[in-house]
Amino acid sequence: MTGSFLKRNPSVPVVLGLLLIGTLAITAMAASGGLSTSFVKTLGMTLCLALAALAMDLVWGYAGILSLGNIAFFALGGYMIGMWLMTARTEGIVAESLAGQAIPPTPQEIRDAVGGQIFGVVGSSDFPAIWAFSGSLPAQLALVVLVPSALALVFGWLAFRSRVTGVYLSILTQAMTLALALYLFQNDAGLRGNNGLSGLQNLPGLSGVPQSTVSLWFLWGSALALGLGYLLCAFVVSGKFGAILRGIRDNEARVRFLGYPVEGYKLAVFTLSAAITGIAGALYYPQAGIVNPAEMMPIASIYLAVWVAIGGRGRLYGAVIGAIAVSLISSFFTSGKLPDLDLGPLRLVWVDWWLVMLGFSFVLVTLLAPKGLGGLVDLWTQRRRPARHGADLGPDQGSFREEEAKA
Amino acid sequence: MKTRISTLALTAALGLSAAPAMAQDTACPIKVGVLHSLSGTMAISETTLKDTVLMLVEDQNEKGGLLGCDLEAVVVDPASDWPLFAEKARELLTVHEVDVIFGNWTSVSRKSVLPVIEELNGLLFYPVQYEGEESSKNVFYTGAAPNQQAIPATDYMIEEMGVEKFALLGTDYVYPRTTNNILEAYLKDQGVADADIFVNYTPFGHSDWSKIVSDVVALGADGKKVGVISTINGDANIGFYKELAAQGVSAEDIPVIAFSVGEEELSGLDTSNLVGHLAAWNYFQSAEGEANEAFVAKWKEKMGEERVTNDPMEAHYIGFNMWAQAVEDAGTTDVDAVRAAMYGQTFDNLTGSTAEMLPNHHLTKPVLIGEITEDGQFDILSETDPVPGDAWTDYLPESAVLTSDWQELDCGMYNTQTETCVQTKSNY
Amino acid sequence: MVGPGAVPPVPLGGGMMRRTIKTALAALWLGLGAGMAQAGPVQDLLQAQGALIEESSRRTIGPAIEAIVASGLPRVQPVLQAWQDKALWIDAEGRFWRVIEKDGEEILVDVDTGDEAGPAETDAMEQIKPNSGIRALIGTALVQFQLTDPEPRRRRAALESITRDPEPELLAPLRASIETEEDADLLARKIRLERLLTARFGTDEAERVAAIEALSTDTAVETRAAINPLLASRMVALPEGETPEGNVARELSPGGESLSRAAAYGALVDAGLAPSRPSADEIRAALEVNRADGMVGGVPVETLGDPEARARAYDALAAEGLVAPRVEEADVDAALAAHAFFDIYTEPSEAVTDAARAALTSIGIRVGAMKGVDIGLDALSLASIYFLAAIGLAVTFGVMGVINMAHGEFIMMGAYTAYLVQQIVPDRTLSLIAALPAAFVVTFAAGVAMERLVIRHLYKRPLETLLATFGISIALQQLAKIIFGTQARPLTAPDWLGGAWIVNDVVGISHIRIAIFVLALMFLGFFLFLMKRTRLGLETRSVTQNPGMAASVGIDPGRVNMLTFGLGSGIAGIAGVAIGLYAKVTSEMGADYIVQSFMTVVVGGVGNIWGTLAGAAMIGGLQKGIEVLNPSNTLAAQTWMIVAVIIFIQFRPRGITALRGRAAGD
Repeated sequence: MTGSFLKRNPSVPVVLGLLLIGTLAITAMAASGGLSTSFVKTLGMTLCLALAALAMDLVWGYAGILSLGNIAFFALGGYMIGMWLMTARTEGIVAESLAGQAIPPTPQEIRDAVGGQIFGVVGSSDFPAIWAFSGSLPAQLALVVLVPSALALVFGWLAFRSRVTGVYLSILTQAMTLALALYLFQNDAGLRGNNGLSGLQNLPGLSGVPQSTVSLWFLWGSALALGLGYLLCAFVVSGKFGAILRGIRDNEARVRFLGYPVEGYKLAVFTLSAAITGIAGALYYPQAGIVNPAEMMPIASIYLAVWVAIGGRGRLYGAVIGAIAVSLISSFFTSGKLPDLDLGPLRLVWVDWWLVMLGFSFVLVTLLAPKGLGGLVDLWTQRRRPARHGADLGPDQGSFREEEAKA
Repeated sequence: MKTRISTLALTAALGLSAAPAMAQDTACPIKVGVLHSLSGTMAISETTLKDTVLMLVEDQNEKGGLLGCDLEAVVVDPASDWPLFAEKARELLTVHEVDVIFGNWTSVSRKSVLPVIEELNGLLFYPVQYEGEESSKNVFYTGAAPNQQAIPATDYMIEEMGVEKFALLGTDYVYPRTTNNILEAYLKDQGVADADIFVNYTPFGHSDWSKIVSDVVALGADGKKVGVISTINGDANIGFYKELAAQGVSAEDIPVIAFSVGEEELSGLDTSNLVGHLAAWNYFQSAEGEANEAFVAKWKEKMGEERVTNDPMEAHYIGFNMWAQAVEDAGTTDVDAVRAAMYGQTFDNLTGSTAEMLPNHHLTKPVLIGEITEDGQFDILSETDPVPGDAWTDYLPESAVLTSDWQELDCGMYNTQTETCVQTKSNY
Repeated sequence: MVGPGAVPPVPLGGGMMRRTIKTALAALWLGLGAGMAQAGPVQDLLQAQGALIEESSRRTIGPAIEAIVASGLPRVQPVLQAWQDKALWIDAEGRFWRVIEKDGEEILVDVDTGDEAGPAETDAMEQIKPNSGIRALIGTALVQFQLTDPEPRRRRAALESITRDPEPELLAPLRASIETEEDADLLARKIRLERLLTARFGTDEAERVAAIEALSTDTAVETRAAINPLLASRMVALPEGETPEGNVARELSPGGESLSRAAAYGALVDAGLAPSRPSADEIRAALEVNRADGMVGGVPVETLGDPEARARAYDALAAEGLVAPRVEEADVDAALAAHAFFDIYTEPSEAVTDAARAALTSIGIRVGAMKGVDIGLDALSLASIYFLAAIGLAVTFGVMGVINMAHGEFIMMGAYTAYLVQQIVPDRTLSLIAALPAAFVVTFAAGVAMERLVIRHLYKRPLETLLATFGISIALQQLAKIIFGTQARPLTAPDWLGGAWIVNDVVGISHIRIAIFVLALMFLGFFLFLMKRTRLGLETRSVTQNPGMAASVGIDPGRVNMLTFGLGSGIAGIAGVAIGLYAKVTSEMGADYIVQSFMTVVVGGVGNIWGTLAGAAMIGGLQKGIEVLNPSNTLAAQTWMIVAVIIFIQFRPRGITALRGRAAGD
């Protein structure tokens, strides 16, 4: 069983090994002071993005659903853990300050004071109903998985049932993300509107632990999640379930005629992807420090897809490579460390021109390297496509194009 | 590291001529972090402030730098992405090891940066008018608190415009929300009935204003004079003022007083139909005086003739120069020493009075009311004496009992009723 | 305080030659004229009120204006007018001057004689800048002079002042001026204002009722503003059984819609009819004060975290008479039951309030209907904006099936083109006429280039087209930022597009929106003509339906696709000009429309222009409809509109006008 699993997924030991070595190396460098805390955080967050990209690859690369709603699941995961982090931390502060008073506080007073601290910024002091479980870590951890999955389940059920596919589905998922973002922007939604939840990097009860240590904890946590996520995804796509998913991607109608409940499969993989993305978000935002609705504006949702596309979809390590490469290069170019290039009349300010370059690189990758960076791995392993006429059954209608197969 | 800086500072303070040579090797140059978005939605406002800080740094270097060191600006781009603000702040403080940061525009970006600055004991100068209800040990708020802009402007509407019915229009984010909350409480204190306050929130960049403007006009149906208090932010103002002009709403009928519309925003508009509408700031480019003329001239020389100056730029101008004075006074760039030297620091602002840094990390600022003129500038109608900024508003019951004093009490959230410090970190 | 505090020094130096001479001349004139300027009574009067005038505050200016008007001097009117127009100045010696502009020169005018007194050196003088509140007061004071002024302009100004600030004492002069009015427009306006003032301030009850009844079909805001104050009321609380004095509007029941229990009890407390209720905070403060030896009222302090213990401790304190007793819910109920609450009109005459109520009801019905019309117009206008933004997309996505995420950036390019044209051609009408084709050409070229370089290679990979065009969208947006900066650029409509078509005070729509509506209609017609009546349209339709077959009958699919894509992009460019005129020109303006545009096309149904039209109508209508339900939160309207669209698509996954059969593709 294990043997055949590894045989079908030769990338698993490689990826897990690299992940372990990388994490150990980073820890060692950080401990010796060679890496700044901000860079460790960046790396930890990058691993979470890689996990989200993995989940994206699961639905897009394997099931052909280009979901632009995954970023919403990501942010929801962050919101769920953020509610607990804010409540618990504020409770600590409030309990300490109220304890100094002449008269012990009533439970109502404590709750009001906590509410005042958290919601004062949006001019309110009452806990909205959706914060009912915010005092309990296990409940909020469960919600990290449950809320994104439930949203995916309901939305997916509606959409797949009406046979919304392809580009329509993408636009619809994007509309869902936009609606959710606009909803959360409203202060009435009870999640602090435009401000979102902030100060998440300060863990409750651990104010004595320096961020340099916390960042390493989260790095390990993210690495572990990515490792487990990779195993899970590899397992999902390697069995019969995975074969049917690919079948749906390449020709949904044919799979349906073969008697498989296509909608059920799509719904399952969409929901699984949402759950994984939620976990990734819950690990990401305590490192980022703040989660707010701007995180799920339409552009952000497309970035996720772009990482997968650049890394190479339809292969799990492609998603991981793409997310890590693009987000690290991006943070390198926007860091302001690169000196400006003076090209005579034109002054190349990297901070400005980076986005232009990124934009055109999407175009180049889609045009010239449809397999993405992952395609490089093929060169290295010298893997050849079988000389099958009409091969490389890409995810879309493109699979019918003879020219593409020859290319 | 710290001892080296203070030795250097000592030599500099004693005026020894050898200082520059020594200064070359370690603590020099003094690094000034600039944390303003250069891309994304907020770039429209923040790029100007980045250029302002760069100009101020250049000036200071021409004057011989500080403590015998040159200043070096470190510019990063948080790209209007709030989590990225926290990341870049950490990078500035730990990787570039800057001595001070000038940055942020939106409240949410400030809230994102706060925990990092407090954790690493950094120093941030925040130049934009904001909603108050916050006080951090590590942040100096050089923009206006609500009592330095919103409240006096509302008074002006009541007393000078005779407005009896208010439409509070804002973009849906924390500054308008909190400001409008304070204003609602304040207006009720002034005897304005609930029914005479109309509140509306619109998304960023909103462009479809016809219904909202009609709603405001319809408010006049009960015979009371209507006024608009606008906290509409950025681009959305353009559509709003275009619609006002199209519907022929004159400043005489329904005056609009704006808190976020400055020279910069008007440069995207034809103002001939908007003459007479108002804005409240602590600075206008049209202020008379030599210091302002020199500042405007220098800005135009650096950036181009068509560029304008605005209020947050003045805030950076005051903040930067006060910081420079405090560094000279403290003889070091060490954050705690500079912070202690900041209190009571005074510097002439650009409108003819003097700003003073208070123990609650706010400035004293005059409140100016200006009328929009045809050339996209403001005609200053009224200028008050400098008003001390108040971190916690007196008009919300929960905040009225709080005070901030980092000099004596060493607490930014001090409950004067129970005489306890609620917390020394700020609320994020 | 008046704006500039310090008087700047007189500029000297070579470059200031002309100015220096002017200064010298002015000084000379001032020197000569000093004697005669001081003589006049108006000058004395102004100087006597100088402090108030300089303070320039609406609160304190009243006596100054009154004194000037009461003086009865013949030159009062021009001085007040000058003051109102910000043309009153004070020189260094504290003398008042009017300053007028003549042939580009600023000239001093004596306030008493009205004679010119030479050029004004305004650098050394201080301008009186009345704010609009003071200007309104001056306007009201001027009414009695201006109502019979020979210049119609001034008479109109007087009427505007009355409209803005109706005062009882204006009724008499207004009535008196009606007889001598010759201008028909002004006469009508005067008669109307006379009715409005009579309704409000008339002395005779019958006369007022008649005026109110005459106004009961009039929906203007000023009419409602005149009638509504008649119904102003205040609430009184009385012990049950007592009858209130005055003109009773109605009896209120506490706990009902118009009077909450808390407010009712508060009114009783205010009237001294019930004891006040100590709040939780007050109770806590009282307990804190009365601590002794770790006990309060016999209850240990450390147990006071329990609300019941607090109540016990407080009751014990109250029993000792140290604090006011708590008021239980039952006490509140009893107090409320023992009293009656009434709304009393401030207006004593019942006949007047009855007439006013009846008039407002009838006006309310009309206003409601007109509001419906106005919302309909708004929705129509919003729909036409969405349609205009989406029509280019309907071509590229709807006909060709190509996802173009950079569609919004074509809109932006069109707007920037118009901005550039306006920089070159200053005349706004001409520049607009030039901008429309220019925007089309620019975006057409950009579209063709994009199709040839990128999209052509991705026709069979729609999802990847989405990514590639998204990349182009990011790059174009950033390029625009680099080229044009991040500030919004001014793009101003010509004056004839600047105003609004106003039916009455409720129904109105701005000209630019009408223009957008017309433009949308023209595009609809153009599109239909192109697709159904031209060779290109025929070819496009055939390529859409079956590219292979089309190619085999001699149509070049590459060329057709290129032209169609260019066309769609060109239309987006023209839409950009319109959207830029109505909203703003920034690098991000396209991104604001892209999701709405896609939804418009998807909701409408792909491949059918009527569908796009229906989609735009549905989305615009939905959004306005939801806005009416929740007027204080526009964001909520957008949110629920999108949710509604998502749900709609569940039921009609192929849009309103779904293609059937082979044309539907998959």
